[in-house]
Amino acid sequence: MSTPVIQVRDLRKAYGDLQAVAGVSFEVAEGEVFGMLGPNGAGKTTTVEILEGLRIRDSGEVGVLGMDPATSGREFKRLVGVQLQQVALYPRLRVHEVISLFGSFYEQQAETEELIALMGLEDRRNARIAELSGGQAQRLSVALAVVNMPRLVFLDEPSTGMDPQARRNLWDIIEGFKAKGMTVVLTTHYMEEAERLCDRVAVMDHGRIIALDSPSALVRENFAEDAIEFVSNDGLSANDLGELAAVTSAASQGSAHSIFSSDIPRTMGSLLDLAQERGAPLEGMRVRHATLEDVFLKLTGRTLRD
Amino acid sequence: MNAFLPLFRTNYRDFVRDRTALFWTIAFPVLFIGIFGIVLGRGDDGASYEVGFVVEDQSPQAATLNEVLGGFEALVLTRGDRETEIAKLADGERRAVVVVPQGFGSSISRDAPLPLQVHFDPSQQTTQQVVIPVLLRAFEVADRALTQTRPVVTAEFETLQSERLQVIDFIMPGLIAMSVMNGGVFGAIAMVSLRERRVLRRLSATPLPAWALVGADVTFRMVVVLLQTILLVMLAVLIGGVSVKVENLPALAGVAVLGGLAFVAIGFFLGAFAKTEQGFFPIAQVVTFPMLFLSGIFFPLDTMPDWIRPLVSAMPLTYLGDAMRQLMVGGAPVHSMALNLGVLTAFLVVFFSLAVRLFKYE
Ligand SMILES: Nc1ncnc2c1ncn2[C@@H]1O[C@H](COP(=O)(O)OP(=O)(O)OP(=O)(O)O)[C@@H](O)[C@H]1O
Ligand SMILES: [Mg+2]
Repeated sequence: MSTPVIQVRDLRKAYGDLQAVAGVSFEVAEGEVFGMLGPNGAGKTTTVEILEGLRIRDSGEVGVLGMDPATSGREFKRLVGVQLQQVALYPRLRVHEVISLFGSFYEQQAETEELIALMGLEDRRNARIAELSGGQAQRLSVALAVVNMPRLVFLDEPSTGMDPQARRNLWDIIEGFKAKGMTVVLTTHYMEEAERLCDRVAVMDHGRIIALDSPSALVRENFAEDAIEFVSNDGLSANDLGELAAVTSAASQGSAHSIFSSDIPRTMGSLLDLAQERGAPLEGMRVRHATLEDVFLKLTGRTLRD
Repeated sequence: MNAFLPLFRTNYRDFVRDRTALFWTIAFPVLFIGIFGIVLGRGDDGASYEVGFVVEDQSPQAATLNEVLGGFEALVLTRGDRETEIAKLADGERRAVVVVPQGFGSSISRDAPLPLQVHFDPSQQTTQQVVIPVLLRAFEVADRALTQTRPVVTAEFETLQSERLQVIDFIMPGLIAMSVMNGGVFGAIAMVSLRERRVLRRLSATPLPAWALVGADVTFRMVVVLLQTILLVMLAVLIGGVSVKVENLPALAGVAVLGGLAFVAIGFFLGAFAKTEQGFFPIAQVVTFPMLFLSGIFFPLDTMPDWIRPLVSAMPLTYLGDAMRQLMVGGAPVHSMALNLGVLTAFLVVFFSLAVRLFKYE
């Protein structure tokens, strides 16, 4: 077992009274895709940017590639790739110009045209940064994160603003990184993205990691049962639903309800009875397996995107 | 690390694609110099030139000369005595003075023609380029009118340096110094803007060393200042008719670069106090605006009240303007050249080290 690429112990960072990162510990192994899930303000970006050497921690131990990012400077920055949550580039430069510029900062650099092709930016090659759409700028930003062909790459919400097609392409690309042996640290708000890409996921809330495991294990640990989902405009509350037969838990978001059941037929029967009794309509009813999203809702009381 | 050239190229691209930057660094100074040149210029529109004509000989040959020269439309002849006309030449009111010496007519009859005396100011380029050729042509015509056989009208040229610089000669080097100041100080906007847009933050996640980033930027601003100065000196000559001391041009370029560096350093220093591009303008204005009026750019320093002198002496533009005026048109020194260069170097060193110390990526 090789030493972990990233080791974090009891990491803390406060902004005034606000404890943005409140004691976080984890490790990331070589070649792993490590995900961080959490609502807005959970502390994901703060954590990741401390690992990148862009922010200085208050306390805790951090080792990345065997170095302390806070003090290792250029030596360290040569080896990692970084994509920041906010795209920030020379607005008047063209796509290919920015890629070659960033390439010139490193001894080892990827071929500009290959990166353009990889990110599907061929027809925007000569466009100025200011003219790119949000998703295109995001793709360029990911391209720049790997311009030095790093062993370790940090992607902070890489798929934000991408259309579904571009997002799926990005997933293929990240799987390609993994296949090449790169280690990837990824933050996201998309449960599907984390489920598909991540070997392990840390769920963060209020500056802490509240769960950390593989996506399937997280679901298994939290839900032994399947979910019934439906929309009902009135008459049914989460409390009522929790009383139904074989129900383990229920969650409501306005008129959208999810009930988790250890025995779907029994729960279904009593739900139909209740609806009939109340005269409540049931729309779009379906039965599905529990997902990371459910885990997240259960752990934080919030959806991923608020 | 060979990021210097790509960064330099990036600065260039960023600059030429930025209409606002182009306007303020190129179009605005050009307009400014152009307008001053037209309003204050020597009126070298090529129409006519005032030439003093002094006739000290009463012969018919002298009368013929008078007639021939008077027939040249490019020459506006003013007749007067030698002393007054030469004094007017010294004051810059005449382009040249032609003297027909006593005994001119009889000398031709005696077959030993006396030369005409032509006085002019060699530092006035249009005189050399236009007036002298016109005069020579006029003499040729007169020659043919006087005799068909051999040339009898010859000229003897005497040069006279006009003492007084004209307003335009005073103003132009100052305006160019002002452009160097603006090009330097306001050139720092690019870096402030990159910081505001968080591009610097992104760069700080790469192994790019700060010196390469700053060095490429400063070098690029220098090139801009130099090209701007060359362009403006050319305009000052072509539109304003300023007579430039050609032999000093390399030194002038050197001083422009030194002054530019000092002002870029000041700009970088000021840039450390501005979070945004919008916030940078007022700061830079507060620093540059008083210098426009108190550094002897528009008004000579000797017209200023005594109490304001210490302020004037603290302004870098005072020294740059003086150095450029001395080199460009041979203006009377306010300070020695060594003092001017020394003070500019001191500003450069002090503000550059402050700027480096205060430099932040975000
Ligand atoms: N530079 C800063 N100054 C002050 N507060 C900050 C700063 N950066 C982050 N914070 C605060 O720290 C908390 C964590 O922010 P962070 O950006 O790490 O969250 P996040 O999990 O990345 O959120 P998001 O999903 O919205 O990107 C937030 O409450 C934020 O307001
Ligand atoms: Mg974030």
